[in-house]
Amino acid sequence: MSTTSAGLAKKFGYTNIRVYLDGEPAWSKANLPTYANHDFIKKGNVVLVDIRPSTDAVAGRIKGAYSIPYDQLDDRLDDIPRNAPVILYGEAEVMDAVEEMREDGFKYLSLVEGGFAGWVASGEPVEKGPIFNTEIRWVRQLGKGEVTLADFRKAASGEDREAVIVDARTKEEVAELGIFKNTINIPLDEIPSRMSEIPKDKKVYVHCATGARADMAYRELIKNGYNAKFLLLNIADADCDCEIIKP
Amino acid sequence: MQKTMRKFVPMLLMVGLISFGCAGNQGADQAIKAGGPTETQKKSAQLYKGKIVGKSNKAKTISIEVGKGKQAKVMMVKFDEQTKGMEHVAKGHAAIITYEQRKGETVATSIKPKLAKLPQGVTEIKTRELQALVDEQQELYLVDSRPARRYGQAHLPGAVSIPVPLLKKKKAALLPADRDRLLIFYCGGPT
Repeated sequence: MSTTSAGLAKKFGYTNIRVYLDGEPAWSKANLPTYANHDFIKKGNVVLVDIRPSTDAVAGRIKGAYSIPYDQLDDRLDDIPRNAPVILYGEAEVMDAVEEMREDGFKYLSLVEGGFAGWVASGEPVEKGPIFNTEIRWVRQLGKGEVTLADFRKAASGEDREAVIVDARTKEEVAELGIFKNTINIPLDEIPSRMSEIPKDKKVYVHCATGARADMAYRELIKNGYNAKFLLLNIADADCDCEIIKP
Repeated sequence: MQKTMRKFVPMLLMVGLISFGCAGNQGADQAIKAGGPTETQKKSAQLYKGKIVGKSNKAKTISIEVGKGKQAKVMMVKFDEQTKGMEHVAKGHAAIITYEQRKGETVATSIKPKLAKLPQGVTEIKTRELQALVDEQQELYLVDSRPARRYGQAHLPGAVSIPVPLLKKKKAALLPADRDRLLIFYCGGPT
């Protein structure tokens, strides 16, 4: 993208053009600050955290912010979903918090530019008083091609007869842990050669042990004209609570 | 929260050795000349160029997205112990896979990173130099070329959002009037 833009700028007559090829991920990894814009903070599916002392948060905070003072952050890290876009604000300690959270596995961290004062100065909504929402609630939105757990359950239970499940794990994994009902086991690498075993007139839901192979299988099926979706499921968590046929 | 530099080491090495283009980088294709096929592969050697979608060690399979826009397709290739350059297979990175057909299966023989090509006269800037420019509040026009929602989630200090399609449409109207001003473009890097 950046090289395309640089090419366009050159065409428009600009003479002094450079490209930061390593881009935003390298900037973040160097623990330099990145900012979220105000619309994203207000409307995005984000977790906004005020890391100032709780007395400051009570006196005034960004609307919708959770309060986790920096001195408690270490103990409460597991309360914050690691795959959520997390936006922090505070005083000077905020960059230390970013560094520590990145090292702890948080992928999507950014800051409020100018902190609370900057937010107030732009006339954005604030709230004050005691904080009641202490438990962080965040629901991941489904990505492209993902099936909901509810729909998957219906297929596994046999309630939805218009759907079949494809288990993309290896035979060895299935032999060890068992398989869901109404499910065909076709390991990911065998999908191209065994595709004819999958009914084309039904909805196809693919799962594996995490979702990685299921995502790849889903794309292969879509390419071949199937009405396919995949489930992001951690088989170890058994989130699905679907009946398993034990080996 | 143990402070460690461990995870930065591979990143720094990679950045030092090779520069990838941005994800979905257009125009970079021409820059690539895949390594010449070896004698034994000559007849059947073929290439996939594009972004790695996924890799499964259990299924010994790589998915790569080839083609652009509506023509984009995700292709699956197997790999084995003989496949060279597996270190270049990382989700979201651009790569060139040389493959051959073996007993009805598509098997990768070697994988190379797809390098970005800078337009003539345009130079690369690295993190440290850019950081210095930003810290010193040097006069520069920093442009985030990614889609607007990515900018919304996290952008560099002082950056403006001009996604590639918007720049194509509005042209220089979105850029400074002074044609000699320093412009720096960035996007999502190799991921």
